[in-house]
Amino acid sequence: MEPKIVSLEMREYIAEMGGDTLNWCMQCGLCTNLCPWRLVPGETSEKFNIRHMQRLGQMGMEGFEDETILFACSTCSMCQTNCPRGVKIVDNVRGMRASLVGAGMAPASLRPILGSAHANGNPWSGPREKRMDWAGDLELPSFGPDKEYFLYVCCHSCYDPRSTKTARSIVRLLQHAGVSFGVIGTEESCCGESLRKVGDEELFLNLAQSNVDLFNGKGVKKIITTSPHCLWTFAHEYPELGGQWELVHYTQLLEQLVNEGKLSFPKSLQKKVAFHDPCYLGRHSGIYDTPRNLMKQVSGLTPQELQRREASSLCCAGGGGRIWAEAPVGERFGELRIQDAVAKGAQMLATACPYCVNMLTDACKSLEKQDDLEIIELAELLAEALP
Amino acid sequence: MVQVQKGNRSVLVVGGGMSGLSAAIEAAEAGMQVYLVEREPYLGGRVSRMNKYFPKLCPPSCGLEINFRRLKNNPSIRFFTMAQVTGIQGEPGELDVTIKINPRYVNSKCTACGECSLAAETEVPDPFNLGLSHVKAAYLPHDFAFPLRYVLDPRILGTPEAEKIKQACPYGAVELDMKPQEFDLQVGAIIWATGWNPYPADKIPYYSFGQAKNVISNVMMERIASPCGPTQGKIKRPSDGGEVNKLAFIQCAGSRDENHLAYCSGICCLASLKQATYLLDQNPQAQVTLFYIDIRALGKFEDFFNRVQAHENVTLIKGKPGEVFEDPSTGLVTVQVEDQTTGKILRDQFDLAVLATGMVPATAHDPVPAQVPVDDNGFLLEGGNSSGIIGAGCVCRPTDVATSVQDATAAVLKAIQACRR
Repeated sequence: MEPKIVSLEMREYIAEMGGDTLNWCMQCGLCTNLCPWRLVPGETSEKFNIRHMQRLGQMGMEGFEDETILFACSTCSMCQTNCPRGVKIVDNVRGMRASLVGAGMAPASLRPILGSAHANGNPWSGPREKRMDWAGDLELPSFGPDKEYFLYVCCHSCYDPRSTKTARSIVRLLQHAGVSFGVIGTEESCCGESLRKVGDEELFLNLAQSNVDLFNGKGVKKIITTSPHCLWTFAHEYPELGGQWELVHYTQLLEQLVNEGKLSFPKSLQKKVAFHDPCYLGRHSGIYDTPRNLMKQVSGLTPQELQRREASSLCCAGGGGRIWAEAPVGERFGELRIQDAVAKGAQMLATACPYCVNMLTDACKSLEKQDDLEIIELAELLAEALP
Repeated sequence: MVQVQKGNRSVLVVGGGMSGLSAAIEAAEAGMQVYLVEREPYLGGRVSRMNKYFPKLCPPSCGLEINFRRLKNNPSIRFFTMAQVTGIQGEPGELDVTIKINPRYVNSKCTACGECSLAAETEVPDPFNLGLSHVKAAYLPHDFAFPLRYVLDPRILGTPEAEKIKQACPYGAVELDMKPQEFDLQVGAIIWATGWNPYPADKIPYYSFGQAKNVISNVMMERIASPCGPTQGKIKRPSDGGEVNKLAFIQCAGSRDENHLAYCSGICCLASLKQATYLLDQNPQAQVTLFYIDIRALGKFEDFFNRVQAHENVTLIKGKPGEVFEDPSTGLVTVQVEDQTTGKILRDQFDLAVLATGMVPATAHDPVPAQVPVDDNGFLLEGGNSSGIIGAGCVCRPTDVATSVQDATAAVLKAIQACRR
């Protein structure tokens, strides 16, 4: 066996970048077993072992920097939520990625993404001036002192043609319920959640600081997010940068409106619907009942639970920067979700995250199940049931 | 001069398991008046449900028999079953305790003839066998129950069946209108020995407990292996009664886990090693695999660990299993683990998987009805002496039977001191 080189400098650097709980690990391997990569075959599944990767980081040893290993984690938190030692595994992954990306060694596939976020304020190569084009002919109110909520629309729903429908549906629902809200506009930048997860600490800080200054300058007090990823970073990463606002995911606000009698869904939809818990709404933010409660408000819907659900939900594979990764057909977690939903006889698979919609839609197409199963964002489903 | 005697020279022991039983007998043999209160309809607690003790592998029945005889021969002990403490007032030396006795619906005229059980038709899950079998709604708690007296399940009250059971008793022992009773006792000190409960394994989402029939807990394994258990001691698969040729033990099912029990439950490693011998004694061809984080066989137990480990049909794999699931068509349980010595991910199928569930102190969910210091997990802390309430056994820390007995004896000395204060 060849000698292994332990680098104290690397250990310290990873700890500084956020991986300071690496040493809490007792090497039980539960993380590796609960990892969604165990459920699919293929090269990444064979190479990527989260326990082993952290062990290398713990020792400051080489071997983790292989792209297939270091960038495999979708930060779904299945391991972190269940870790017996409370190791902050997602932070460790981020810290280990930052040790490379921070040194200018981001994987080639991620460079255009990071470049776009740097230049356009979004990772989707969308021109900044077109950030509000998603609204189309909707009357979109501007945020100002007279508005209660600032509606922050995820970049994905600003630029991805499929995803813009989600943002428009949310606006319809909010307007129908008479919510006082507005958008700021093209000066908004990406929340930076996924960019920080791929290890670009500097880019995240720039985006976050510009958002904090912008939102605070406009007098924002309450924010509605369309994506649970934005929700999570605003709630957990922005406060120390000066961003302290009351935050709600749109589903939470809709549930509140229903409870207050300000929103109801009179149209009946005769469908069997399964719900896919997004990791950043569920395990990361603890919201499980809200989307289910909303679906119960629509008459005619028959709920169908998936086998892996709520705190044990299976990731769509779109988090942690994996939305920009290419996984071969047969190795996509989303395919397992589609198979589960189809086997349960669901006609629709609803979710509440733009990344999940994206990944599940791709998986549904790659399995050629588009005719059997419709992937739908919860807001779109609810908007269909409006009068 | 030291104040010689003040306060009441009687002790209340709460919990009739091994700790409480030992404390009651030791205190009485030291000259104290003792009251023993037990919530179940029989004495002996969890020990009476065990098949064998480690490391000697002897059955607990003989130890219990000896204790029951000491208890019966000692006029200074009064015991109450189906009883609980509902209130405690006063100071050490002068404690006023309220005891509630729940109706058994069978009075002291019972001779355990069993006519009531023959007359009963309704079957209920047998609490003694943890629901692994059923008993008639008029039943003897278990074959060696002390006191040897039947009990009625309250679910049949008010039915013609209950009347039929009453008529069947030749001694007039069935009392369908029995009511809960409350009374007060004056004692000098209290020994709290209410024991422990197994950690509810269904709270560990990835182990399929409660969904997969062939995934059981270690306490269920004790019943399955016990000659007076649901299968007369033959270790079989609960799903179909099939033979067990491959058995898995999953250690730390709840213990040493911040999401469940942050502490080591101390006894589960030895318990699983012991249970491995249950199967190998019955089926020498069987293969046993034990998945562990660390084996904690402290002190003299190292020898027992070495002996079981050396058995050629026993394999120990360091690694905490993640996914455990049952194939509904075969009943086989797949266990997936990363072997920490090789880094390889292993998937293997077993006839039966035993979860080594940890110990939760009874005081975590059923606290002492008085101000006593407890830790974050519900274990009683030292320092309860000033209240005259002294913990003994598993309410203080996870511990084995032998240590519980020693602990109980030590608690008696504290109780005597509290009486004299």
